[in-house]
Amino acid sequence: MNAFKREKKEEEDGGGNPFENLEKTTVLQEARTFNDTPVNPRKCAHILTKILYLLNQGEQLGTMEATEAFFAMTKLFQSRDVVLRRLVYLGIKELSSLAEDVIIVTSSLTKDMTGKEDLYRAAAIRALCTITDGGMLVAIERYMKQAIVDRSPAVSSAALVSSLHLTNVSGDVARRWANEAQEALNSNNVMVQYHALGVLYQARKTDKHAVIKLVAKLMRTSPKSPYAACMLIRMACKLLDEVDEREELLSFIEVCLRHKSEMVVYEAAHALVNLGRNGREITPAISVLQLFCGSQKLVLRFAAVRTLNKVAMTHPASVTTCNLDLENLITDSNRSIATLAITTLLKTGAESSVDR
Amino acid sequence: MDGQLLEPTLYTVKGMAILDNDGNRILAKYYDKNVFPTSKEQKTFEKNLFNKTHRANAEIIMLDGLTCVYRSNVDLFFYVMGSSHENELILMSVLNCLYDSVSQILRKNVEKRAVLDSLDIVMLAMDEICDGGIILDADPSSVVQRVALRTDDIPLGEQTVAQVLQSAKEQLKWSLLK
Repeated sequence: MNAFKREKKEEEDGGGNPFENLEKTTVLQEARTFNDTPVNPRKCAHILTKILYLLNQGEQLGTMEATEAFFAMTKLFQSRDVVLRRLVYLGIKELSSLAEDVIIVTSSLTKDMTGKEDLYRAAAIRALCTITDGGMLVAIERYMKQAIVDRSPAVSSAALVSSLHLTNVSGDVARRWANEAQEALNSNNVMVQYHALGVLYQARKTDKHAVIKLVAKLMRTSPKSPYAACMLIRMACKLLDEVDEREELLSFIEVCLRHKSEMVVYEAAHALVNLGRNGREITPAISVLQLFCGSQKLVLRFAAVRTLNKVAMTHPASVTTCNLDLENLITDSNRSIATLAITTLLKTGAESSVDR
Repeated sequence: MDGQLLEPTLYTVKGMAILDNDGNRILAKYYDKNVFPTSKEQKTFEKNLFNKTHRANAEIIMLDGLTCVYRSNVDLFFYVMGSSHENELILMSVLNCLYDSVSQILRKNVEKRAVLDSLDIVMLAMDEICDGGIILDADPSSVVQRVALRTDDIPLGEQTVAQVLQSAKEQLKWSLLK
């Protein structure tokens, strides 16, 4: 009966899930096909997808099983099929923490990383850095520095992000590669700029003066990337309590309230109200949040009312100006927004608003 | 109010998930070892998240100390999770990128069957969007460009006769080999 039900459901789904009821042992046996020459890219890609799917579903592999699958997978480097190669990189990353002797693929990955194909290079860098340990780091350092300043944004981002992950392996990686990151910071690509800023901050965060210099320089040019701008606002906030140039930092955050990206505007408003300033100083931020309360975008309304709710605890008087907007949100289709609006009003509302 | 200011870091995304209309996981990644370390905890969270979100199309929810933004289509649910102090708009930009990339990969046919048919490419896309919790790329067209599509995925009209014959031949071969 149950089987019948399932079949019926599968029919409705249009054929059922081809990945359902996969058996770990069967799939691992299928992985022996990887040893065949020549490699059949389609078939192997399908089997590899099954392995990745099982891992993603939370299936546990023993060290032996993982190592065996990993070594079988290394045979697939013979194939030039793009999708298969990319799946192998994914497999390396997934199995790197489970299998033994994973550094066996170092030379294959280094070759791909320095090759011509951009699609390989970026992904190969990321895979390589997941299997890199302290000893290997020196060997790939030169390539990594080159990759950070590569003209391809994908390659540059991959190298920058990987160097942040490598901080776990060696604490001073970011500092050693800071010159290259500094160069990448001038990139026109929004993500590269963002990632470069992340690495630079990591490199300098223990040196207050270096952070001040970095922030001061960036405040003048104002980063093009909205993500980098958000990061810069957070860096500025962190500095505020420690330095004398408070006014400059504050006015920078205030300028960000007029940024063209809503993401940055919200970040700035959120920062200003959370800095615990006095009521007068947070007024511009409150007006921005008030504007967001009437937005068509649900997430923007949510973000605004959530922040106002927090401010209301410390500065109820500043939020009173938003009472009308908050009252409109009580009937919002999103229940979280409605609830947040009501609790905020409870702190700010006066008797006069009870009737409405 | 202390502690609500975020530490400047690139580690923004705590997790991403694609669930089906029964709340079962199709694909999911968790990037923070402190958030749901075991797959059992992850799945409990996913069930919980699904139960709270599958009826109301509310886009955003706070659950278990995480801010989750989500979007659904036909029989799929897309989620992006971040810390409860995270800028919601940043998380939303990641979610939109995830959804739009998958949509482009599946040629606007965003449903479970299609995702499973192109599971390998969707996995690659997720990997291109977020690397270990850092947003790697948030522009769907660039993500799709980065996950190389197979040549036989080109719509029929744009293929040459030889290509069509080749793929037909391959398909026939495969059906026979099964």
